[in-house]
Amino acid sequence: MARASVQPSQVIEPDVDDATKSDKPWIVIVWNDPINLMSYVTFVFQKLFGYSLEKATELMLDVHHKGRAVVSNGSRERAEFDVYRLHEHGLWATMEHETS
Amino acid sequence: MKVNKGPVVRTKHGTYKLALPKEHCEVLMHLISELRDSLLNTTDDASLRRLFPTAYHNDAKKDAEYQRLMRDELLASRLSSIETALNVIGTNNEHSESEIDAFARSINSLRLVIGTTMDIAESDSSQSSDSSADDSNILDSKQTELAEQQLVQRELYDYLGWLLEWTVGAQSQGL
Repeated sequence: MARASVQPSQVIEPDVDDATKSDKPWIVIVWNDPINLMSYVTFVFQKLFGYSLEKATELMLDVHHKGRAVVSNGSRERAEFDVYRLHEHGLWATMEHETS
Repeated sequence: MKVNKGPVVRTKHGTYKLALPKEHCEVLMHLISELRDSLLNTTDDASLRRLFPTAYHNDAKKDAEYQRLMRDELLASRLSSIETALNVIGTNNEHSESEIDAFARSINSLRLVIGTTMDIAESDSSQSSDSSADDSNILDSKQTELAEQQLVQRELYDYLGWLLEWTVGAQSQGL
């Protein structure tokens, strides 16, 4: 009876960084652009995310003065949905894994 | 005292009325129709790039996948908004929240395209349209023609900003 031969196989170790990243929530960032009106950006934040005028204005001013603001976070699907809605409204939005 | 009403008014019933001179409506319909035709022709034109931004700014592979899945949907959404906006501008009816929203998004899209074409920068935001071609007497005819085109673009850009400001003001009353 022939012995079953066991061939050595290459084991691919999971990328620890990727595994760690997948646990982290995604953040949605709106970037400054010179064209969109400040009032329009504030209104879009209120409408899409239900923020108060004060909160929406604060985020808009962060975009304007700091160049970007995190406007929402959550699962990848949720972040893609928010990015899509912001794009529909003409805002420059992207998403990335939360770093901290 | 007479209160000046803007070009977009929210009624007490939560609907919206657009009050623009006929000539303004004609110009808007022409420009928005041109935008629709451009979008139907291509979405790769440089002037349209702000209408189709990246979603993953630090991951080209994920962004390519996102664009593959979502770009057509975004295009369809823009075209649908444009059709609604043309209807809003072309009729004297009162308009619903969603209709005025589509109108606002289309005006903003138009403004993004014109602003991109003009290469608007942050420092341009306070520049008024009457300061652009003061030196036309020292320009040759080709330069003068270009300066006039830029002046028209600037006036359109400022006009769309004024109209969008009023539209957002009216919409904000409904929040």
